[in-house]
Amino acid sequence: MEALWLLMPAGQRRSGEWIDDTLVQRVRERGMEQKWPLAGQFPRQRVEVLRAADAHAEVNGVYYRRGWTDGLPIVPPTLARVDAAVRATGRRAGEEIGVLEPLGGIATVEKIAANAVMAGAAPEQLPVILAAVEAILEPDFNLRGVQTTDENVTPLLIVNGPVVAALEINDSYGALGPGWRANGCIGRALRLIMNNIGGGWPAVVSFAGLGQPGRYALCLAENAADSPWEPLHVEAGFDADRSTVTVTRAETMINVTGGLEELASVMASATSAFTMLYAGKVAVILAPHVARDLAGQGWSKQDVKIHLHARARMGTDVWRRSWLSTAHADSRRWPDWVTAAAAGDSVPVLRDPDDITVIVAGGDMPIPQCAYFPSWGFPPCCVTREIGPIKGQANGSVEEG
Amino acid sequence: MLRASAASELAGVPSSSLVCEGFIGQAGTTSVGLGMSNLPLAFVPGHVGNQSAEELQKNISEITCDAVVSNLLEPPSESAIIVEPSPRDIVFAGSFEDVNRLFYENEWSDGLPVVPPTIAKIEAFLRFTERDPDDILGILLPDSRAATVWSVAVNGVMAGCRPEYMPILVALIEAMADPEYGVEHSGNTPGGETLITLNGPIIKDLDFNVEQGVLRDGFAPNTSVGRFWRLYLRNVAGFLLHKNDKATFGNTWRVVLAENEDVVEKIGWQPNSVEMGFQAGDNTVTIARYTGGNLLASVYGDTPERMMPFIADGVLRQNTWQLVFTVGTSNGTLRPLLVLSPILAETIARAGWSKQDVKQYLFDHARLPAWQFERYLGEWTDHPVRSLKDQANLGKIPKLFYESDDSDRMVPIVFEPDDFMIVVAGDLLRTNCYTFAHNGILGYPVAKKIALPKNWSSQLAEARSG
Repeated sequence: MEALWLLMPAGQRRSGEWIDDTLVQRVRERGMEQKWPLAGQFPRQRVEVLRAADAHAEVNGVYYRRGWTDGLPIVPPTLARVDAAVRATGRRAGEEIGVLEPLGGIATVEKIAANAVMAGAAPEQLPVILAAVEAILEPDFNLRGVQTTDENVTPLLIVNGPVVAALEINDSYGALGPGWRANGCIGRALRLIMNNIGGGWPAVVSFAGLGQPGRYALCLAENAADSPWEPLHVEAGFDADRSTVTVTRAETMINVTGGLEELASVMASATSAFTMLYAGKVAVILAPHVARDLAGQGWSKQDVKIHLHARARMGTDVWRRSWLSTAHADSRRWPDWVTAAAAGDSVPVLRDPDDITVIVAGGDMPIPQCAYFPSWGFPPCCVTREIGPIKGQANGSVEEG
Repeated sequence: MLRASAASELAGVPSSSLVCEGFIGQAGTTSVGLGMSNLPLAFVPGHVGNQSAEELQKNISEITCDAVVSNLLEPPSESAIIVEPSPRDIVFAGSFEDVNRLFYENEWSDGLPVVPPTIAKIEAFLRFTERDPDDILGILLPDSRAATVWSVAVNGVMAGCRPEYMPILVALIEAMADPEYGVEHSGNTPGGETLITLNGPIIKDLDFNVEQGVLRDGFAPNTSVGRFWRLYLRNVAGFLLHKNDKATFGNTWRVVLAENEDVVEKIGWQPNSVEMGFQAGDNTVTIARYTGGNLLASVYGDTPERMMPFIADGVLRQNTWQLVFTVGTSNGTLRPLLVLSPILAETIARAGWSKQDVKQYLFDHARLPAWQFERYLGEWTDHPVRSLKDQANLGKIPKLFYESDDSDRMVPIVFEPDDFMIVVAGDLLRTNCYTFAHNGILGYPVAKKIALPKNWSSQLAEARSG
């Protein structure tokens, strides 16, 4: 019999209560016991020992039925693995990073590390994950809304700075996956943390109608080397030699092959409905090729934002006939800048050029492959947090922090 | 504060508890023990004591006030019950090392190896008490768990006690549960530690050390019973460091202080048990909490008159902020303890002094100027009660504390001579004594008689030969 010493990844409130005791009630109310037959069934203690002939498979089966995975196999959060992950942060295991909505589990460094290990994260990735957790804890991120809404929103993580090369976070061909451990595991870790510590279980707490692939993982780095402009973290006021993670609320990712006109046409469509309603902040990825072309013509990043803002306008009649305008005509209050513009022929989908986060990413090829991430929810949000140093000797390739 | 909020909420009146940043964790865990895990808290940043008035005002107006308003206007979040294993559940099966690892990782041990509490070992302990395993000795804050005879045995096994210590353990937990002791204060920031004083023939029955090195680990009964106390505070009362045990420094659990009753009898004094209200020869435990202690070495002299000035000076110096328990937070609850080595006690008694005479001497001579007493209360510890004159005039403290307006007048550190406690133990021939700094109502002295099973002698003989 193999024995695994496992750190419980589930959220505990300050009172000591486990959020699973609330979740199991929701599961029963929704009649979903078959999906989570072991919800809430675990010893209420920090560490448990699980023994089986194939303990790895057993943990995976049990954790899935307890509601602690995203459906994909997880790495068992053993004490040794979690300890290595905690050490890579240089912070105390019990240190509280914050309380995760909506069920109020306390995100300690140790709980975050346990979920990161489950996601397959390497210890040296923990500082990025901690920074991402700090970002979604910012009140502006509205984690409660993101976790419970019927929309399919998910955090989009954009990493900048020296940590990108140090951790081999993909910013080039295939940056949004699959294939790179850092992108996949950092993004996935944040989802497991939201699920297990915050309690955002699909169908019982989170009522996203469809969800989206980005809810498994949505993380990339900016391709600073192939960008003609200053990188995102410098734009946000950080020194170039600092590393940061930037988080926005992304309703989805839409591929746009084309230049600014094509991007503007997509932005001006129904996909931006909630962006308009909440005066949201969106993200745009420009292909290196497109960015270089624009810069060659003398365009700054700000020029790009101003142009997109000016061009991304929806016909007033289209906007009036749209679902959001008609179905919720009584209960929704559109922003003043929308109703004011509706006196004319067209309505801008964004309040201000600075509500567009522009980064350069993807492979350097002669194809204008760009992307648009409309937003959901209020208040407008784009949070950048500095990533702490990577401590210890988690990986030979990582410098002592 | 939280206990007041819980009472208020129970009465249907919305509450908001002001909690300093450093106490958020303790507040959360304490709320659970009060059966109201959802008590609304309003957070005050930092430590109020070292902020300027401007900083404090800014913090309160920008952060705390909003929380207070929402606490009072919005319904508290849903409260749930924490599921715990039943007493007889087998929580784990594995090797000695594995049991210890699991217990440590789950905060059920103090970091040293514990004896795995198997059913068989627990039952061996239970044979040394006539009480039912499910008998409840009290409800212990902060976790509000029932202190059962069963859990006494479990923690006794874990601490490395022998089964025959069980009667002492039961009495100790009866004392812990006595409201007069105030176990709920055990997680306070001064971090005082309980001292257990043992009296009666059980000292010899179980081979407690009463002589040289009496307060040092090395004798199984003294050591393991002391450790049991701390394990019980952890596992049943629920005091955990970094959670609701907020000891700034703390210290290791104290081993049991067993009195040398042979010496006490020889010099014609009464043992501690008699002063605690029992008969000489009764088996008793006495508990009280002390933040610290100090040794007075080489007490010189062959008469009390020569020896006592040094001793009284030592007792006095051991008490500084603790004077708030004499005047201020809980008037007249300071109970300084003096442990005399046998040779010191014998020398004092040889001159015809009773224990009462020693106490009277301490009362008369362990004194300080009134201005210095008031400086401890007000200027240095910022307690609200600062004037001995006012307190005396209000009748809250004896007139003795305000016999004149002379700020240099000498005032005692306790209300009356009997507030001093004296125990005889330690090296028979060393002229050293020990003073303990008591913590008033945050661990007031409480004594309980130890109930032995009817067939104690035969069971003990069997245990010794086993």
